[in-house]
Amino acid sequence: MMRMWIGRAALAMSFAAVCGAALADEFLVGVEVPLSGALARVGTGMHEGISVAADVFNRKSGKHKVKLITIDDESSPAKAVAAVEKLASQGVVAIDGGYGSNNIGPASDAANKAGLVYITSGGVDEGLTQRGFNTFYRINNTAGYSKAMLGLLADMKASNVSIVYLTKEATSALAKDVDKALTAKGVKTTMHPFDASVTDFKPIVNKIKLQDKPDVIAMVGYETDYAGILRAAKVLKPDVKAMVGVWSLATTKMAEDFPDLMDNVYGTALLPFPAEFTTADGKDFADTYKKLYGKEPDYLGQFGYVQSMLLFEAIARAADNGTLKSGGVATELRKTNRDTLIGRVQFDEKGDNPNFSHRMGQHQGKKIAVVWPAESANAKMKFPGVPW
Amino acid sequence: MRPDRRLVVAATCVALYVAVPVLCASNLYLMSMIVAALTIGGIALAWALLGNLGGLVSFGHAAFFGVGSYASALLVMKAGWPIAAALPAAGMVAVLSAVLVLPALRLRGAYFALAVLAYAHIFRIVTTEWTSLTNGAKGLSNIPRFPLIAGFDFASKTGAYLIVLTLVLAFALIYARIRSSHYGLALRAMHESEAATRAVGVNSTLLKAMMLFVSAFMTGVMGAFNAHYINFLEPDYAFSGLWTMLPIVAAIFGGYRTITGPIVGAVVVYLADQLVFKEVMPVGHQIILGALLGLMILRAPDGLLPLLTFRRRTGTILRHA
Amino acid sequence: MTELTLQALWSGVLLGSSYALIALGLAVVFGTMHVINLAHGELVVLAAYVAYTCESQLGLNPLLAIPAAVIVVCAAAALTYLCVDRIAKDRELNSLLLTYGIAVMLTNGVLMLFKADIRSTKSTWLTDAVVMGPLFSMRSEIVFFIVALALMALLWWWLTRTWSGRALRAVASNRDAARLMGIEPRRIELASFVVAGLLAAFAGVAIYSFGVVSPSLGTTLTVKAFVITVLAGMGSIPGVLVGALLLGIVETMTTTFGSSALQELAGMVLFLVVLFVMPNGLFGRART
Repeated sequence: MMRMWIGRAALAMSFAAVCGAALADEFLVGVEVPLSGALARVGTGMHEGISVAADVFNRKSGKHKVKLITIDDESSPAKAVAAVEKLASQGVVAIDGGYGSNNIGPASDAANKAGLVYITSGGVDEGLTQRGFNTFYRINNTAGYSKAMLGLLADMKASNVSIVYLTKEATSALAKDVDKALTAKGVKTTMHPFDASVTDFKPIVNKIKLQDKPDVIAMVGYETDYAGILRAAKVLKPDVKAMVGVWSLATTKMAEDFPDLMDNVYGTALLPFPAEFTTADGKDFADTYKKLYGKEPDYLGQFGYVQSMLLFEAIARAADNGTLKSGGVATELRKTNRDTLIGRVQFDEKGDNPNFSHRMGQHQGKKIAVVWPAESANAKMKFPGVPW
Repeated sequence: MRPDRRLVVAATCVALYVAVPVLCASNLYLMSMIVAALTIGGIALAWALLGNLGGLVSFGHAAFFGVGSYASALLVMKAGWPIAAALPAAGMVAVLSAVLVLPALRLRGAYFALAVLAYAHIFRIVTTEWTSLTNGAKGLSNIPRFPLIAGFDFASKTGAYLIVLTLVLAFALIYARIRSSHYGLALRAMHESEAATRAVGVNSTLLKAMMLFVSAFMTGVMGAFNAHYINFLEPDYAFSGLWTMLPIVAAIFGGYRTITGPIVGAVVVYLADQLVFKEVMPVGHQIILGALLGLMILRAPDGLLPLLTFRRRTGTILRHA
Repeated sequence: MTELTLQALWSGVLLGSSYALIALGLAVVFGTMHVINLAHGELVVLAAYVAYTCESQLGLNPLLAIPAAVIVVCAAAALTYLCVDRIAKDRELNSLLLTYGIAVMLTNGVLMLFKADIRSTKSTWLTDAVVMGPLFSMRSEIVFFIVALALMALLWWWLTRTWSGRALRAVASNRDAARLMGIEPRRIELASFVVAGLLAAFAGVAIYSFGVVSPSLGTTLTVKAFVITVLAGMGSIPGVLVGALLLGIVETMTTTFGSSALQELAGMVLFLVVLFVMPNGLFGRART
């Protein structure tokens, strides 16, 4: 009798073990990011966030684990396509990453051909969500950035704004959006486009100082451009009340690299610095980030983290439903509706996140304070205020 | 060609057209690499042709590549041309752009080489600024792919491979024909002594210009191919310095003086760079290519392949033009 | 309007002076050996990164980093010469390929060591404004403008008044005749590379002090230097200064009055115009 029970118990246990093993799946997720080339820094930042997400997810998830396979796309569209193809051939269930609309376009195209979901936070170009793909998802967009900048400018009651912007695609689109909205509200605007090769901004800033005489100078570009514009402004000292930029400006890196140029400068910022994460999710993120990389997370890591967590959760749900191989990841991702570090995220039929609205931060001394919108602000803006 | 040589050539062609697709088609990534390598090979061939027959070194072949890419993409997308017509037309547009380069022929060798580089920059800037035509920095996306012909999808990796292979072999044939023609004889005579050639009445400037046009045509067609293969273009990509650098390294490595040298050099160098160097040194792996080029110039100006096949030539890469 | 124009001219002159430093190095080597050193722009970038390393690791003001930059870049230039010297035949064209290879190596070497980020000086002393009436500039721009003028005067003095400088001009005009006169051409050629390195070193620290550097800057600088040498005409040192100032002014005027997007194009168009209309440059002598 005992033997029969032992036999049945053994059978049951081994059955459970087999089932458990079958259920404790490991899913390959392809990561295609620029780790070299012009976008190396932002790609590495995003990659850090993605790796943190994988670490946190694997710890918290019981039966589903994810394994990342990363390929550097060298900031080049052709290499991005090749990377996606290679990942597809290695059996990944989705593609995570991508930076720069020029690279994301062809890469997500290749992913779509391979039937793989492509989720990113690095491409704000309008055209990306107008291709009719049901595999493309992004958690941020141009509208969110312009909402933030416009909100801040409205709070400042600026009546005359000079917009200095890089002629690349994403920056021009944002600048033109902001211009249109401001003009509609009766604000006087002057546009100053500049090419990527410009390193001396004194001529442009001088034009602004002598001809436009604005309340606020709005800057739309990347780190080099902000540094150049602020440096020129510091020399020429135009009579303005604020210098406002967009991405990559209200960051600790800029404060470290150019400490004499940043004071009172505004840029988009998800979280203040030092960051105080109030949710459990946030604390997990910050702690793991510090453990893996020995530094505080920045906005790139935050975006990379959020997009990856949403993806991994969708993969887990699809695996549970058994729809993994039949487009389940896309369907589950579309059902996303939760609060994250960047606010509530949902995806519409085009893969865009309509709730996305960035926040504005300001360098105040050694800290970065979130000053807009009022609900997320942790300090008042120091206005008027310029770095000189 | 002697009969046994013809057999070798035929066998190689069969291998290339049949064996490679059969063996490699399942590995999309490898096929991608091979197609890219052959694209580089085509440019390397055109570059070597300009150097050998025209006596001109160019550091700006990316100019013709970019012009060809955009020309073909725009002809198909905006004017509705079929791709088969757009490819050679794009080559002709590249030739037209080479006409703009003609004044630079007056310059001495080194100056000419860099003048073409300046042209590459100019073309890139014009392409970026002429947004109404080229969509500027945003680039052109969803460039039409190669069509379906008789049930075979030429937009697939294998299809693209067959197309680029055919183009490269066709260009090699053209190169060989020119070299063995009486033009080729005149060009080689020109290398020995330009003054003497002039004295006999051969217009060396005209010949050089013709070679520039041929080289530009070939490079332009490769650019056009690439546009329809990658289906995406932007000015920085189309005129990227890599389209100049890689063919130069490939041609020098594979053997500047031969016709097949640049092509084989391209395949070896590109695959080595992507599959080996990049794995070992994810950042800055092209440093090896630079070192390779330097070493080749100093030690083996005829390239490594002639050494391997025991063919020796007199040790100069370039003669005075 | 006049304020705008004056500032544009002034900025153009300052910018042109640093372009002149870069172009002179290229011109000296080319004049002596008929070799275009395609790695010249990379030497300038190398100097800039030496200044960066001194500032970030040792906290030194970039001006103090100049000696280190000079040593490193002159050594690199000498090494380049040694490689070029070993070319067996057709040095003029083969050296292009060789220095091209060296340029690729330097660019990627810098990329590996310093990553792709843009770098610029943190020194507030250097980036502070200097105001002279309606003219604004950064202190570093003024400092290096004076340095550039001093270096050019020194170069002119060396070429015209010293034995070695005149030996260089002798080698430049006729190598074999110079050898017959007792001048060892190879030592002079090495000297020309080292002088080019010296000029490049100052130019690199200058760019770091008032502009931004990144590994990819090298090629842009080489192209600019080449454009200026064509503008100037072969073999003309004063021509290089004029050409450089011209380019600087054209660039700033285009940015101020036109669109900055056309800035790079303006320089290139200038180059084309000279090429079509005056192939010997503004000051060059016609050569067969």
